[in-house]
Amino acid sequence: MEENITGMLSAEEIRIADKCVEKALALGASKVRVTLNKSLMELFGTLDGVLDKVSHCLDRSMSVCLFADGKYGSFSTNRLVESELDDFLAKSIATVRMLAEDPCRDLPDPERTAKDAKTGKELGLYDPSYPSLTSSERLKMAMDASVFERHKGEGLISEEGEYSDSIYDTLTLDSNGLCCRHTETSFEYGVESTVKDADGNRYSGYWWDSKPKLEDLQIATCSETAYQRAMAQIGPKKIPSGKYTMVLDSENSSRLVTPLTSALGAFALQQKNSFLLDTLGKKVFPEWMTLKDMPLAIGQPGSKLFDSEGVAARETPVIQNGVVKEYFVNTYMSRKMGIAPTIEDVIRPVLEPCVAPGMDKPSRMDRDALMALAGDGILVTGFNGGNSNSATGDFSFGVEGFLFKDGKIVHPVRETLITGNLLTLWNNLLAAGDDARTCKSKVIPTLVFKDVDFSA
Amino acid sequence: MFNPESYYLDLFQVTPGTLEELTGLGIKKGGSYCDLFFENTTYHELLLRDGIVSSGGFHIDYGIGIRVLKDDRTGYAYSESTDARSMRDAVKAASMIAQGGRCRPAGADLGHRPYSAAASEAKREWTRPGSKVGPATPNDYYPFERDWRAAETSGFVPYMEKLQRKISAGDPRVLKVIVSLSSQVSDIMMYNSLGELTFDTRPMGTIAVSVVFGQDGKVENKTVSRSFRTGAEMLTEGLLDDIAGEAVKGIDERFAAKRPKGGKMPVVMGAGASGILLHEAMGHAFEADFNRKGQSIFSGRIGEKVCREEISIVDDGTIPGNRGAVNFDDEGVPGQNTFMVRNGVLESYLHDRISAAHFGVAPTGNGRRESFRYAPIPRMRATYMLGGKSTKEDIIASVKKGIYVDQFSNGQVQIGEGDFTFFVKSGFLIEDGRLTMPVKDINIIGNGPQALADITAVGNDPKVDDGAWTCGKGQSCPVSCGIPTVLVNNLTVGGE
Repeated sequence: MEENITGMLSAEEIRIADKCVEKALALGASKVRVTLNKSLMELFGTLDGVLDKVSHCLDRSMSVCLFADGKYGSFSTNRLVESELDDFLAKSIATVRMLAEDPCRDLPDPERTAKDAKTGKELGLYDPSYPSLTSSERLKMAMDASVFERHKGEGLISEEGEYSDSIYDTLTLDSNGLCCRHTETSFEYGVESTVKDADGNRYSGYWWDSKPKLEDLQIATCSETAYQRAMAQIGPKKIPSGKYTMVLDSENSSRLVTPLTSALGAFALQQKNSFLLDTLGKKVFPEWMTLKDMPLAIGQPGSKLFDSEGVAARETPVIQNGVVKEYFVNTYMSRKMGIAPTIEDVIRPVLEPCVAPGMDKPSRMDRDALMALAGDGILVTGFNGGNSNSATGDFSFGVEGFLFKDGKIVHPVRETLITGNLLTLWNNLLAAGDDARTCKSKVIPTLVFKDVDFSA
Repeated sequence: MFNPESYYLDLFQVTPGTLEELTGLGIKKGGSYCDLFFENTTYHELLLRDGIVSSGGFHIDYGIGIRVLKDDRTGYAYSESTDARSMRDAVKAASMIAQGGRCRPAGADLGHRPYSAAASEAKREWTRPGSKVGPATPNDYYPFERDWRAAETSGFVPYMEKLQRKISAGDPRVLKVIVSLSSQVSDIMMYNSLGELTFDTRPMGTIAVSVVFGQDGKVENKTVSRSFRTGAEMLTEGLLDDIAGEAVKGIDERFAAKRPKGGKMPVVMGAGASGILLHEAMGHAFEADFNRKGQSIFSGRIGEKVCREEISIVDDGTIPGNRGAVNFDDEGVPGQNTFMVRNGVLESYLHDRISAAHFGVAPTGNGRRESFRYAPIPRMRATYMLGGKSTKEDIIASVKKGIYVDQFSNGQVQIGEGDFTFFVKSGFLIEDGRLTMPVKDINIIGNGPQALADITAVGNDPKVDDGAWTCGKGQSCPVSCGIPTVLVNNLTVGGE
């Protein structure tokens, strides 16, 4: 029985969540939503090939959204003891009643909620081999992944690796009869290597992989990749400030997509704190750019059948041929703004491969091919701080990477900044590859932009 | 008579015998040290949007974190229940560290001693539970009068509404205002295999506003926050005026601001929030875990002169009511003020118990954690530079061409390389010693040791910022930062 798997919700915990809905209504709530979360993470960390850290993290919490007298509040506790529920809920309802009425608050229309998330395993994100994995096997994977002994005489001064796996189980219920569950496992290895050059300068490189199923985890090459990424940074040279073509690798490209999806969120739009205000249905991006939300992909990280309200996820274009097709609008914001609700946030954004008109589409669409397509420019392989202004789209980010000429890397660059406006930047998109990392929930490939301001 | 020991023991439903049994079990299979961290935190939050406080709530987080050390290595587990079986299971999970993998060379043995009331007696006078109102002990860095847990939520609503009205009245261009008020009180109890039993009750109140302004079809935003380790008495008229005033200050400049031409130039860091420079440029690189692992650019450089003699930089957990204050850190080590740089010379890393044992020094009270779910690691508290002799005006006047910056949103550092960045929300160009064109939304990048060496003037106006700074290092931690006006001769400024 699944209830016996540590980290998964037990029948007793689900019964308490059910009871919570019932008790909240009895205590005076008009509507209620309860979300039960449980997770277990096991971690084995190594330092320089030696076991350095072991963690065992079992989490459990219950969140309760209460609607009473036209008012709303949200509460949570990790004290899942039935005898304490009455007191918790009574205090919660008393708190709600101190707040102002807000007629826009409501549960989602039951017609819009997910009906097909019954077992939690519909999306194929649960690895049935998870319960049989032993501590010895975890430890062995962590230890075997190290390359410290291989490279310690070759500049490697520190290697910090972490193998971890987790199971996450969540159940959402509401007083309209909603009941959806999502269960997933995750197996991950990440490693940071630090190397030292002949002058004592240090450089670090990080690499990782993560998969819902252990058999798919690419653990063997992570440490070597991290080491090589650190070594590749030795000998950085300064570049003159100016405009360059920027190739942004797929490890980092989602950094430039997140501000777009945030700006399309109703919380920003309703506050007029969005540089994409009033853009729905308008072409504000280049026509060769298409971004979709694809949350229903079986077995893919990030997939989910419902949002936090229980609203059914669906595959939908967000930006299609440069036209904004979707705002992310939950029930509350829908009523406040007087527009139709959608989903509260993008779940699994996917940017489609593309090449700007006038450019020859290469046979391959990976990073090296796109550098060749760009000719000269700067390959960005990491961000170092920075931010963007949600109201204007102005951004400035610290970056590191490599100068390249004729599609070939010349030397590393660092202490460098890119600055501009997100709308301008995306309208200068030259190409998007097909090499998005399969371990990420944001499926964004290598990107190429022209005329990016680099300061160095 | 109030008995703090029984308050905490009762809260977590344990006895001294249980504590000793658990730590004994933790080191039974070869562990060198074991500690227990009990936490009961209540968070409250209220949100004003579109003129009404229409959402709010509270959250309860309760549990125990158990750490077993085998020399430098850490085993960690936690339980959200403090029943005997759950805690024993967690101890067994944490003690796996002593059983697997090859051992590294042994560091100092932190050891194990049985519990004794006398051993913890000295600690008790430092602490008191939040429900008790009374005079602070000499080492209570966050005395408070009104416990957030007992205060009526309804009383805060008019306060937030008043703040919103003040902001809206302060500038006709205000389009939207969001006000959030969050508070938390944590009851903490710590016990370790040295027999040390420590208690603490930690309050925190944070009020933040986000304001959107419109002018001629253009939109700008601004956020302001204040955060203190104190009770609900922090919500004064003075605080209202302070926040409302800052929220609408400098909006003309925001609308007029332009991107500067990027490149290397002198940067004058305004007093207060510019302390983010210290946090990113050297604070993280001075956290001793990075140095223990040889990863930091400052590894092995204690005792070196790294900057001008007039520069001293501290990390201080003893500022009363400050967001970074700690009566005890999360390993039960008393809060203290640590000189990282004294008169230009690197003096101390920021240590937790592991790194202190590794380097053979006393812990500095920097072993901190987000919650019982995390093992403690070296973290900053309030990091600031002591004042110098120059005036702000003289420092600005000394710059032919550069920029002046005074408001920030975030920063980051690469520990190995020492490259740090911080994002500037507002500032000015400096031309011929005068502030001229406003600038905003630019990132600045530099290298830690080089930036320190490039500080050529230190102002006489030291200030610690009271904003809600949160440091992320795999886990969040409340901190603060400060600095007098300083001139850094050469940083890279983002621009066109």
